[in-house]
Amino acid sequence: MTDTGVITVLIALLAGAIRVSTPFLFVSLGECLTEKSGRVNLGLEGTLVLGAMVAFAISYHSGSPWLGVAAAAGAGFLMGALHGAICRLPRVNDIAIGIAMMSFGTGLALFLGKPYIQPSAPRLPSLPLGDWLDMPALAQMLDVSPLFLVGLALAFLLDWVFRNTRAGLIVRVTGDDAAAARALGIGVDRVRLFATALGGASAGVGGAFLSLYYPGSWNEGLSSGQGLMAVALVIFARWQPRRCLLASLFFGAASALGPALQSVGITAGYYFLNAAPYVLTLLIMAGSGSARRAAQYAPGELSINR
Amino acid sequence: MSNEALSFTSPGAIALEAIGLSKRFGSFKALDDVSLKVPAGEFHALLGENGAGKSTLVKCLMGFHRADEGAVLLDGREVSVRNPREAQGLGLGMVYQHFTLVPSLTAAENLVIARRDAPAVIDWAAERRRIEAFLDRTPFRVPLDRRVGALSAGERQKLEILKLLYLDQRFMILDEPTSVLTPAEADEILGHLKAMTERGEITVLMITHKFREVQAFADAVTVLRRGRVVGGGRGLSTREMATMMVGEAAATAGASGKAALPERRAMPASVGEPALELAGLFAEDDDGRPALRGVSLKVAAGEIVGIAGVSGNGQGALVETCCGQRPLSSGQMFVNGRDFLPTRRAFDAAGLFVVPEEPLKNAAVAGMSVADNIVFRRFEKPPLSRRGWWLDRRAIRAAGRELMTRFRVASPSPDTPIGALSGGNVQRAVLARELSAEPIAVLIVANPCFGLDFASAAEIRARIVAARNAGAAVLLISEDLDEVLDLSDTVAVISHGQIAYKAPIAEVDRGTIGIHFAGGSEGEQGAPLG
Amino acid sequence: MEKGAVSGVEPGTGLTELLPQGGDRLRRAAEFVAVPAFALLVAAALFSAVLLGMGQSPLAFFELLWRGAFGSAFSWQNTLQRAAPLILTALCVALPARAGLMVIGGEGAFVVGGLAAAIAPLPFLGLAPAPVLLALMAAAGMLAGALWIGLVGVLRHRRGVNETISSLLLTYIAVAVLSFLVEGPLRDPATPNKPSTHPIGADVMLAPIPGTSVHWGLVAGIVACVLAHLLISRTSTGFAIRIAGGNPRTALGQGLPVGKLIVLCCLLAGGAAGLAGFFDVATVHGAANVSLVAGYGFTGILVSFLARHNALAIPPVAILFGGIGAAGGLIQRRLGLPDATVALLEGVIFVTLLTSETLYGRFALFQPRAARPRP
Repeated sequence: MTDTGVITVLIALLAGAIRVSTPFLFVSLGECLTEKSGRVNLGLEGTLVLGAMVAFAISYHSGSPWLGVAAAAGAGFLMGALHGAICRLPRVNDIAIGIAMMSFGTGLALFLGKPYIQPSAPRLPSLPLGDWLDMPALAQMLDVSPLFLVGLALAFLLDWVFRNTRAGLIVRVTGDDAAAARALGIGVDRVRLFATALGGASAGVGGAFLSLYYPGSWNEGLSSGQGLMAVALVIFARWQPRRCLLASLFFGAASALGPALQSVGITAGYYFLNAAPYVLTLLIMAGSGSARRAAQYAPGELSINR
Repeated sequence: MSNEALSFTSPGAIALEAIGLSKRFGSFKALDDVSLKVPAGEFHALLGENGAGKSTLVKCLMGFHRADEGAVLLDGREVSVRNPREAQGLGLGMVYQHFTLVPSLTAAENLVIARRDAPAVIDWAAERRRIEAFLDRTPFRVPLDRRVGALSAGERQKLEILKLLYLDQRFMILDEPTSVLTPAEADEILGHLKAMTERGEITVLMITHKFREVQAFADAVTVLRRGRVVGGGRGLSTREMATMMVGEAAATAGASGKAALPERRAMPASVGEPALELAGLFAEDDDGRPALRGVSLKVAAGEIVGIAGVSGNGQGALVETCCGQRPLSSGQMFVNGRDFLPTRRAFDAAGLFVVPEEPLKNAAVAGMSVADNIVFRRFEKPPLSRRGWWLDRRAIRAAGRELMTRFRVASPSPDTPIGALSGGNVQRAVLARELSAEPIAVLIVANPCFGLDFASAAEIRARIVAARNAGAAVLLISEDLDEVLDLSDTVAVISHGQIAYKAPIAEVDRGTIGIHFAGGSEGEQGAPLG
Repeated sequence: MEKGAVSGVEPGTGLTELLPQGGDRLRRAAEFVAVPAFALLVAAALFSAVLLGMGQSPLAFFELLWRGAFGSAFSWQNTLQRAAPLILTALCVALPARAGLMVIGGEGAFVVGGLAAAIAPLPFLGLAPAPVLLALMAAAGMLAGALWIGLVGVLRHRRGVNETISSLLLTYIAVAVLSFLVEGPLRDPATPNKPSTHPIGADVMLAPIPGTSVHWGLVAGIVACVLAHLLISRTSTGFAIRIAGGNPRTALGQGLPVGKLIVLCCLLAGGAAGLAGFFDVATVHGAANVSLVAGYGFTGILVSFLARHNALAIPPVAILFGGIGAAGGLIQRRLGLPDATVALLEGVIFVTLLTSETLYGRFALFQPRAARPRP
């Protein structure tokens, strides 16, 4: 392989990682917020697909992709609120409801989205960060979506909120110890409802990225399970928003590595790279002695950590 | 609530007086005309056995319960406390036996979120200055930026107290504040609190079992027993307090169902090999802290060894390790001289039976039928299973029905889920399972009569004595001292995960037991180990 | 139990005599029918609102739904065909659930089962008769699935790894392994567009049940459900599993090998899903490719929940959802609705049925007598 080849691979990898990681970033931040409040939402896959469809439809009708993004966030908010409202009922299993919501969200998106499969809608613009390069091929790879920057900002914002605001502390208290939260006069159910709804909104924006930026169209096979993997990403990120960014980039890079290698003629073997993040997450959970260490980062109220 | 604003310069200690408080739960009188006077700036100790009414009393003061009768006065004014938040508003704060701090938050975050006027956006620099200025006025030091989960027990307890001070709660109720602390930590914290009371900054009401701490720190004592104030005052000796706490033996014998017990056959004169031997058992609790620290004990066939003690001193872990619900970190268990591991085959071969406390939680499956629950010990054996694997459901129902009749388990049918039965009937069903086999070589029973009415308790105690008369080695673990004294041939006291005292029933006196409840660390006041 | 229940029913109160034998059972059974029936009605009402909003007649819709699912021999066959894999993947959830585990990785076991079944006969093609090869394939599929979910059980027992998460992660790993093998070392060069393993050949593939187009997976699924039911409710091992699943502390206190029971349930569960993968390969695809990743595992989770993890209730629930899926084509053709209409209907039903769980125990009519507070 020549030097140019290596550089091409690296840059393609970086660009691919950023592109592929953006939906991961939004769903993981949403799931992070939800789990910090002590609840699991396995249904973000449905929210993601619905968000993609709504964003595309609104962008198509209004001509404004940003309006589409806002609508996707709204749809996600409603889906999350529905999940939150159901899960606060006694004897309802949040894992099963999550999977049912995944089915419901996907079904709703395909049902309402049928007319939008053919047409094309105004897409989100990209920010050409690579213009200073004199290699147009590379420059094109470095076009970055503004949504990625929004996600970047959101990760830092969420981190700041968790540390520096009363609302953030309240979410953390609720997720860590419901009894202590009640003793402080916090309405545990209400906090979780809001956290789940806002988490859904974030996942909806992730869907908007899929349909309005990359791949940039609406069809039935748009998502490749990014929403479902939010739970794994958040474990990987140890429930910290800034680590969600790293985890998303890592998961994205692993997914992008295949096509990047393909571009320089290496075709076999890279599917294992796709599995690498999941294998790694599993190893982290099973690793000797670290089960307890990993658990100490998890919100105490989370059902999947018991 | 009006008095929310934080002012660290408020006048100081609050005086509290309770007059004639009474509280009933159903037919049970938890508090009976209890009066208590704690002047401002006093360090007051509240003593009593489990179930003496200490918790009920402080819960009434804090507004968790409303007393049926009586009044509470703060600084001479009558107040009505309807819930803990109102108590907080009046300056009453409590440190609970379990921590109320949020483990994943830092100490500073815990303090700020506890304030109800915490700002929407927290200016940490300013908050830090406020907290540090506040800390400078207290004798306590804790690392502010570490997660509470990573703090030591002593640091957490200090932080709990700091939280009350930070919220300006100048009447402090402490519920066994030193039970998770080392003696050095305990002395440091109580010493600081004592100094603060002497400066008139706070008033302390401390629930405790430790006479040493009472002697060292308390100005005055109130002793509760069976919901009544049985004594108190200043300058009492350890023996005086112990006697008040556990009562005079003669005064209580009639009330505990002794009359209903069947005649006890004499123990075999020459006790041979012990039927059950525990050799240096060590185990950890769920949080990895030591729960058992070398429990060694022998029980002979036909003997009841009763273990008394204040709850939370390792009783739960002891039963759990014996029946395989908690792993041993070291130590060995012998039944009839042979090494015992808690597998199904070994339970059977050894003839070892266990009736843990709270049977619905520890020894039953709520969703399975009464008959199913009754046959847990032998469902895979004929005649309940053919060839060891195919259940004969008719035989299971018949076996269940038969034992339900013998043990008077009241249930609409053998098919009713056991979770739908009353506590006494669940207990009877579990006893039916564990006591109906022949022969019983070893029986381990924990708090068998907890929460049961008088008649059920008497019946269950009679069955335990009957098993002993039939030759079983019985290990009885109970938080009810009267029960232990009534049933046991040998009495032991467990404290801090160790057997602190052991003596034949004839040589036991209540005062000595009371002292050992507190850990056998009474120095010259304590009796030598039996 | 509440504190007040301590005094509960004492002998001689006469209640025992008053109540007909098994009255409680009947009440509980009635609740298990009434609550889901109510939830289905709510789902139908919600969906009718959607249809009315689109200017469609709900009556016509549900009539077509019935006809497309159960209205003719043809639609029945279609329905049963779709139900077959759901039955087996639902078992993959129901069995561990009885041991107290929440496994959601049936999709992964289905995929590795299908993959193993497709690979196993390749070296022996033409060397052994078809029935032998099919037996080999079935065994390979079940074994692969069993090991896949068995690993989940081992991780849970040995390392305390949450089974829900580990099984979900393993699903993604299974899909990656499938993609790697079918696009890499095991790829049949004759399949340029849809990378697949070498086909097992039409002569090896399993013929449908004679006189129908339904494949044998349906029979296998129903047999597996009956066996699972017998295992759980009629054998001593199943009895032990119920104790371990109902209250692990009690099971330990009875000296039962809780870890082994958990792993056993996981092995059997994975075997069931792997068997479903085998049938998908042996009757539909004839080779392993990404078509195996069709979401049967995930729908199976919901089927198991709706059957309340009761093995005998799984086939009817699976057939109900198989029927809804089968009616999709007819509805699309007749009413001009998008084919996703049935997917939406399914989603609505899943959500309402699972939400209805909260209604259990709320109506005194259905409660056992002993549990009711006495006046």
